[in-house]
Formats: sequence, C-alpha cells, structure tokens
Amino acid sequence: MADTITELFSAPLTFNWTLSYKCNFTCSHCYSRDEVGEELPTEKIKQVVDVLADRQVPFINFGGGEPLIRDDLLEVTRYATDKGLNVSMNSNGWLLDHATAEQIQQAGFKSVGISIDSAVGKSHDDFRNMNGSFERATAALDALHQVGVKTTMSAVISRINFKDFHSLLDLARKHKVSQVFLHNFKCSGRGFKNREDLDLSPQEWKEFYVEALGTKKVTKDLLISFDDPVIASLPGYDENPMVKGSSCGKLSLHLRPNGDITPCGFIPLVVGNILTDNFEDLWYNSPVLNGMRNKEAKGKCQGCGAYQDCLGGCTARSFATTGDLSEPDPHCWK
Amino acid sequence: MTFLQRNPDIVWRHEKRREEQVLKEMDAGKDVEERGTVILLISGMMHQLNLLGGMIWNLCDGTRTEEQIVDCLLKEFDVERNVLAADVAEFIEDLLQREWLIYG
Repeated sequence: MADTITELFSAPLTFNWTLSYKCNFTCSHCYSRDEVGEELPTEKIKQVVDVLADRQVPFINFGGGEPLIRDDLLEVTRYATDKGLNVSMNSNGWLLDHATAEQIQQAGFKSVGISIDSAVGKSHDDFRNMNGSFERATAALDALHQVGVKTTMSAVISRINFKDFHSLLDLARKHKVSQVFLHNFKCSGRGFKNREDLDLSPQEWKEFYVEALGTKKVTKDLLISFDDPVIASLPGYDENPMVKGSSCGKLSLHLRPNGDITPCGFIPLVVGNILTDNFEDLWYNSPVLNGMRNKEAKGKCQGCGAYQDCLGGCTARSFATTGDLSEPDPHCWK
Repeated sequence: MTFLQRNPDIVWRHEKRREEQVLKEMDAGKDVEERGTVILLISGMMHQLNLLGGMIWNLCDGTRTEEQIVDCLLKEFDVERNVLAADVAEFIEDLLQREWLIYG
C-alpha cells in the first residue's frame, strides 16, 4: 500500500534496539522488565547492523533492559559507527563510571541518555527501586561530560514528577546536559500494572503540557523534547514534526533482543524478523505498519477538529488499553 | 583545485526508490521540481533535495570541483551547458551559505 511515508522513506530513520531485557533495576513503570526472550550472539548482532547499514538507517538507539549489561555493547557500537551509523543509548547510569565513559567515547557514541525521574534523590531511588541510583545517574552524566560525550536526560512523566518538572530542567543544567526528554507515560508492561498509581488524568496531562510547552518556548539554554502526539491538539501548538501522530512505524521501528521487529517497544505486535525476513517487504507491506500509517478515526476522534494533527494520539497507549490501534488515546482530554 | 564536499555532520540518505519513481515521472513529462530524492536531517529538521539537487549532493564527495560536477550532470540531462552550470552554481552557493557544503 503506497502512502506518504513509504512513498518517500525506504526505511525508518531510527531503530530503537533492545539488545537485552535484562536489567539491574526493577522500575515501577518499566515496559520490559517482565519480558524474557532469546538474545542474539555478537556475530548475529553485527549481521543486524549490516542490514541497517545496507538499508541506510541513520540512527540506532540502544535501550532495554540496561544496554550496558551486554558485555559486547561497545564492540557492537564500534562496528556500527565504523559503518557510518549514528549510535546513542539510554541507560540508568548505574554501570557508567569514568572508565566506562571513556570507553563509550572511544566506541563512537554520539550521545548517551541517562534516565532520571526526579531531582529529589530519594524520589528517584524509590521510583527506580534502587537506593543510590540517583547519585550514580548524576555521576554518570558528569563522567560522560568530562570525556566529551554529549548527554541527554530522560524523565518519564508520572504522578511523582509532573508538578515538579522545572527542577528536572535545573538538574540537567547543573550537569551540563544538552537535551531533556520529558517522555509521556506508557501503560505497557509494569506501566500498565501500576497505571492507577502512576498515570495522570487526561485533564492533568493537558495542564502539564500547557505549562511544559510554555516553558519550552522561553527556554533557550536547554533543548526540551516531548514525544507525545496528543499535544498536537493543544491551542498554540506550533511545532512542525516530520510526521503527524505517532512516529512509530513511520520514522522509527523497534528491535527486540531476538531480532524481531515491532512498531515500537510499547506495541507487542511482531511484524517480522530482521535476520530471517526481507526487510523491504516488511517495511512496505506489513499490515500492522500500514495500519499505523493509515489510521482511521474512531470513537470521539470522529469529527474532532484536532484529528488531522494528532491522528488519534499515541498509538501504543490506544492499543494497550483497547487492543485497537485506531481507538482514541486514553490520555486525550478532548 | 577546490573540491566540494558535504558537511560531515549532516545526516542524509539517498532515497533511491523514490528517485527511480521521480525519473519515471520526469520521462512522462511531469513536473518533478518539488519531488525530493535525498533527505537531510539537520538539527531535528528534515530537508529534501529534488532530483537535480540530490544528484549534485551525491557528487559532492570531496573529489570534484563545481565544473567537474557540471560535466557529470551533462551526461544525465539534455540541456545547454551554460543553463545547467547556472543552476548548479546557484544551488551550490545556497548550500555553501548554509554550510551544508564545504570546500575540501
């Protein structure tokens, strides 16, 4: 099926790659902590990199699970960067001391994101179920900065931090972070189980985004990024994203540890395997991907004036709560 | 000699399948001026280069001067050299000012 995405793009721009589901943390919101699965050996991972390089995918972002748990992470990264790919990762920072930061720099990482959910150490530690994790995370940011690796900071917005995100921005400044990602809460995995405790109401999401977008407009010393398509329905929203609605399945895809491809890490629909299936066929012909690229308004989205901009909001949240990719985003306040 | 090369900090991709489609449309007499065949990702924004721009971009690999790029393109387009050279010069000047191209 031809559409505006595949009419131009021959592949996604980014593969978010879960090398392993293993993690040294047990965070309350984690989408993947309860997942188990076969992991590819190093040589197979390099074959995946070969496919991505052949398809001219410019960006790889390692996530997880904790990427640094894989002892071949740096070797794989060097292999990918030598092939011209731009590699980044998201880490909890626990395993990232100064020596590791130097190795990360030498491996060619373009940037490293550290997850910090509260500027209050105890709140972060409690949320991450790991005493001392705040201290290690901020130390990781400092170590990376010292060796010249660009750092970003990621916070999942939830009940513990939505009224206090300004302090997260101050924390980022203190540790010389270049960009802060305020991620929307996804009700997948543990996030689904704990959503009653962690998720905001639609009205609270609206209030958060109104304030956060206002802060972004007047903030010049720090990049603030959101990845939530539901904000396109806000009055005064004037960003110009590359695509409308969720970018998953359009600009990005997700790789599981065994090479299975899903539209994103939060949508457990396997469209094929990168090593055993023809990627071009999956990219152009997958019914799941084409379904995400050609959503049809359902429920309250029908007739909504914002639909052409938000395209129903976050597809992962819709699917997690209704089992239907095209149902309205449960975070939508309209 | 002043060889033109792409700014190495710019992430880009030659969309070959799209280019094949655009070439077919051009052969069929359609206007393809606004049809991108190369995408550039700069500061979180995507820019597209059309068929001629994409071909120039691909040729700016640090081994050719502007004149040599025109020579290469003359094999692809049925057009007077001075007309093509003017288009190439305008495009390259624009991208040099943006610092998307640099002299190697």
